[in-house]
Amino acid sequence: MQYSHDTHNHTHEAHDHEEMGFWTKYVFSTDHKWIGIQYGITSLLFLLFGFVLMGLMRWQLAYPGTPIPVFGPILEKMLGSAAAGGVMSADLYNSFGAMHGTIMVFLGIVPLAFAAFGNYVVPLQIGAPDMTFPRLNMASYWLYFLGGVVMVISFFLPGGAAQSGWTSYSPLATIIPTQGQTWWLLGMVLLINSSLLGAVNFLATIIQLRAPGMTWMRLPFFVWAQFVTAFLLLLAFPPLEAAGVMQLMDKLFGCSFFLPTGLIISGKVADVSGGGSPLLWQHLFWFLAHPEVYVLILPAMGIVSEILCNNIRKPIWGYKSLVYSLFAIGFLSFIVWAHHMYMTGMGTAISTFFQTTTLIISIPSVIILTVFFITLWGGSIRFNTQMLFTLAFLVMFGIGGLTGLPLGFNFVDLFLHDSYYVIAHFHYIVAPGTIFALFAGVYYWFPKATGRYMCDFWGRVHFWCSLVFMNVVFFPMFTQGIAGMSRRMYDGGVNYSQAANKGLLGALPDSAIYSNVIISIGAWMLLLAQIPFIFNFFWSMRNGRKVESDNPWDATTLEWQTPTPPPHGNFAVEPTVYRGPYEYSVPGAVRDFIPQNEIDNKGKAKAPKS
Amino acid sequence: MEIPYTVKERKDTGLYNAKLGIWLFLASEVMLFGALFSAYILLRVGATPGTWPHGLLNVPLGTLNTIVLIVSSVTVVMAWASLKMNQFGKWRMYQAATLVCALIFLVIKSFEYHDKLTHYEVVTKEGDKHHVYDGHLVQEDKDKVVLHPSAHRLYTARAIALGFGPEPAGAHAPADHGAKGHAEKEALVTIQRSTIEHMENYGPKHHPYLAIYFTLTGLHALHVIGGALVMAFFFGPGAKMWKTDPERFTNRIEISGLFWHFVDLVWIFLFPVLYLL
Amino acid sequence: MSLKSFHIVFMLATLALSLFLTVWAYQEFARTQVTSYLAAAICAAVTSLAVLVYGRFFLKKLKHISYQ
Ligand code: HEM
Ligand SMILES: [Cu+2]
Repeated sequence: MQYSHDTHNHTHEAHDHEEMGFWTKYVFSTDHKWIGIQYGITSLLFLLFGFVLMGLMRWQLAYPGTPIPVFGPILEKMLGSAAAGGVMSADLYNSFGAMHGTIMVFLGIVPLAFAAFGNYVVPLQIGAPDMTFPRLNMASYWLYFLGGVVMVISFFLPGGAAQSGWTSYSPLATIIPTQGQTWWLLGMVLLINSSLLGAVNFLATIIQLRAPGMTWMRLPFFVWAQFVTAFLLLLAFPPLEAAGVMQLMDKLFGCSFFLPTGLIISGKVADVSGGGSPLLWQHLFWFLAHPEVYVLILPAMGIVSEILCNNIRKPIWGYKSLVYSLFAIGFLSFIVWAHHMYMTGMGTAISTFFQTTTLIISIPSVIILTVFFITLWGGSIRFNTQMLFTLAFLVMFGIGGLTGLPLGFNFVDLFLHDSYYVIAHFHYIVAPGTIFALFAGVYYWFPKATGRYMCDFWGRVHFWCSLVFMNVVFFPMFTQGIAGMSRRMYDGGVNYSQAANKGLLGALPDSAIYSNVIISIGAWMLLLAQIPFIFNFFWSMRNGRKVESDNPWDATTLEWQTPTPPPHGNFAVEPTVYRGPYEYSVPGAVRDFIPQNEIDNKGKAKAPKS
Repeated sequence: MEIPYTVKERKDTGLYNAKLGIWLFLASEVMLFGALFSAYILLRVGATPGTWPHGLLNVPLGTLNTIVLIVSSVTVVMAWASLKMNQFGKWRMYQAATLVCALIFLVIKSFEYHDKLTHYEVVTKEGDKHHVYDGHLVQEDKDKVVLHPSAHRLYTARAIALGFGPEPAGAHAPADHGAKGHAEKEALVTIQRSTIEHMENYGPKHHPYLAIYFTLTGLHALHVIGGALVMAFFFGPGAKMWKTDPERFTNRIEISGLFWHFVDLVWIFLFPVLYLL
Repeated sequence: MSLKSFHIVFMLATLALSLFLTVWAYQEFARTQVTSYLAAAICAAVTSLAVLVYGRFFLKKLKHISYQ
C-alpha cells in the first residue's frame, strides 16, 4: 500500500514515483473503484464488439448471400475463406451467432452489471474502505480479461470460433471438428472462476464490512440486488463448470459424457464408447443459465431503484416487499431451469412441475415491477437522462416479462420454442431492459467517478434514438416468431418462405421475411445511436461541466458522502449510519433529503419508517 | 487504509473475513462436486442394465487411501490446535505429517491410475470370428501383444455388440477366449497384431464409468495438490508470519484446514460411490 | 463454523463410512464366503469404535477452543 497516498494531481517532479506507481495504480490495482472502472470499460468494449458481430449477421439475414458492403472485404482479409468474396459463410454465421450470445452475456452484461457497478458502488454504499479481499478482486478482473482474450483469439483459429450457440448443446458441440469449441470451454472456465472470486468477495464484503449502524434493512436496494446476484453466481456457476469440464473431457480425451450409444456422425458409427446423455448437458447448462438470466436483471433493478427514488424525491413504496421478492426470486430461480427444455420430451410430469414453478416465479417479478410503478405515484419527477432510461426500463422490462409468461406454459411453448418470439422475449428484458438500466447507471454515477457531468443534451439524443430503434429491432421479432420463424437460420428463413402453401402451418409469410430488412436497418441505426454515448462518455471525462458538490443529485446514500472522486480508502472518517436508504421529502426536514449518515437537526431523532 | 476484521472477528457475524470467504467458496465447491455426482447418477441410471461395473477398482488400496486422508485430517486439526495452544514445535510436526499423508495419497492414487491405463480390451478378428480379450498388458511388440487376463472387467458397447456382454450368450462364452473365467486367470494370452481390430486401454474414453471415475478423482486430486501446495507454503516460507502476527498465522492454518477437511469429506463420499457400490 | 466444528462433522461422516463398510463387507462375505471379507468387516467395526474413542479424546483436548 506504499502508493496509497498518491493523489490525482501528480506533478512531474514525482516522476520516479509515478513510474513505479503506474502498474500498481492503473494495471494491477487493488482499489475496488479502479477495478470497477477496469471492468466497466472492458465490458463496454465487449458489448460493442458483440453488437458489431450482430450488425454483420443482420446483413446476411436481410440480404442473404450477398457480399457485405465495406466490412465484407475486411472480414475476408482477416478470416480468409470463411468470408470469401465478402459473403458471410454459414460457418461464419454460426460462429458469430454463438459468440454474440456468449460475449453479450458472459463478457458484457454480467461483468458490467455485477462486477463493474457492484465493485464501484457497493463498498461505497455500505460505508466500507474497500472490498474484503482486494487482491482476489484484482485476480478476478484479470481472469475475466484472460477469458476474454481466449474468446477473441478463438475467432482466428482454423475453422473459427465456437459454432454451436451460446448454449453449446452436445452432441453437436462435441463432434464439431474445429477447435473453436475447445477454446470456448477454456474461456468459460476462466470466466467462471473469475465470477466465483467476485461472488465470494461481494458476499464477504456485504456481510462483513457494513459501516456501524448499517443494518440489513438499511441497505440500499442496489446492495441487496447485488447480494442476491452474488449468491446466484456462487451456487449456479459451478455446475456449468462441471459440465464444461465434462465437455472438455469429451473433446480432449474422447469420453462420452454427452454422447449416446450408437451415435452416427456423417453416416458412420462414431468411435466413442457411448452411454452418455445429451440431456445431462442441457440440465447442467440451464441449471446455471436460468439463474444467470436473473443475474442479468437483478443488478439492473437495483440501479433502477436508486435512480427512481432519487429523481422522484420520494422513498420507495414497499422497500421490504422488494427485498423479500428478491429472496423469493433468488430461491425459485434454482428450480425453474427445465422450462427451457419442454421440447426435449423429458416427460409430462417433469414439464408440469417446471411449468408450475415458472409461473410462481413470475409473482415476485411482478411485485418488484409493481412496487416501482406505485413508487412513481404522486412524485414530482426530475426528467434527467438517467431518469429517462429508468422509466423506459420499467416499460420495456414489463413487455419482456409479460411475454415470458406464455413461454412458461408448456403447451404454448411447444409452438413458440426456438422461434424468434423467444429471441424477442429475452432481448426485451436484456437489451432495452438491463442495458438501459446500465446506461442510466453510467449517467448517474459518472459525476461521482470523474467529478464531471455527462452532457444532458447528447444523453437525450442517445436515449430517444436508442428507445425508438430498440423497438424497431425487437418488436417485429414477436410477429416473426408467431408466424413460425425459427432462430439460428442462416438465410433468415427464405427457404421456408418458398414452400408451397402459405399460412399458419405452411410456409413463412412474406411479411416475416420482409421484417428482416426493417429489423436490420433498425439494428444498424441502433449501432449509430450509440455514437453520441461513446463520444459523450470520453468527452465529458475531461470537458464535462464540473460538479458543484460531492452530492450533485441530492442523494441520500453513502457513496455521495465521500470526496469526489473518492480517494483510496474511500471515507475520510468511517461513517456511521442513522437511517434508512431513501429518506426523501421527510416532513419537517430542512432539505428534501436526509443522507443516511446524518443525525438530523434535532439530535438523534428516530428515522421514520421507509 | 486498513480493512477491518482481517484478523479479529466481527461481533455480529462472529467471523473474521477469511473464514467467511472460505465457507462461501466451499459452498460453491459443494455445487461443483454435487453436479458431478448427479452426472454419475444419471449415467448409471441410464446405463444398459447389467453393464455398470462392480469391483473394478482395488478396494484394499482405496481403503488404505481413505485411511490416509482421515489421518491427515486429524493431523490438520491438531496442527491448528497446537498453534492455538502456542506450541509451535508441535505444529511443525503435525503440519509435516499432513504433507506426508498428502504425498502418500497421491502416490497410491497414481498407482491406481497406472493400473487402469495398462488394462486393455482387445478386439480381434480371426477368420470371420470376433474375439474380445481383456487384461493387463504384459508385453507388446511389433507383431504381438501379451495380456494377463483380469478377473474384473467391464463391458463396453463394442463388446456387447459382438456378443461378449455380461450375460454370456451361450455360444459366445467359450473358455478359450480368455476374457473371463477364474480358471483362466493365471494364463497369459498372446495375441497376434495382425488380427487386432481395436485395442483400447481403460482410460476415460473406454466407458462412461471410467470417464466419471477419472473426472471425479482427477478433480479431487487437483484439490489435494492445491491444498498441499498451500500448506507446504505455510510450512516453509509462510511460517515466518508466526513471529510477526501469530494470530493471523493461526487463522491461515485454520482456513487451510477447513479446505483440507472439505477435500477429505469429498473423498469420504467418492470412495463408497466409486469403489463399493 | 470453526475447524473444530467441521472436524466433528467430518468424524461423524467417517463413523458413517466405517459403519457402512462393516455392513458392506459382511454382505460380501455372506455372498462369497471369502473370509478376508469377514476380516474386513471386523476391522471396519473396530474402526467405528476407534472413531468414537478418538472423538472423546478430541473433545477433551480441544475443550477451550470455540465452536464458532
Ligand atoms: C418473468 C418471468 C419469465 C418467464 C415466465 C420466462 C420464461 C421463459 C421461458 C419459458 C423460456 C424458454 C423459451 C423457449 O426456449 O422455448 C425463456 C427463455 C429465455 N428467457 Fe425468460 N422468462 C422470464 C423472465 C426472464 C428474465 C428476467 C430474463 C433475464 C434476462 C429472461 C431471459 C431469457 C433468456 C435469455 C431466454 C432464452 C434462452 C435461450 O434459449 O437462448 N427471462 N423464458
Ligand atoms: Cu429460464
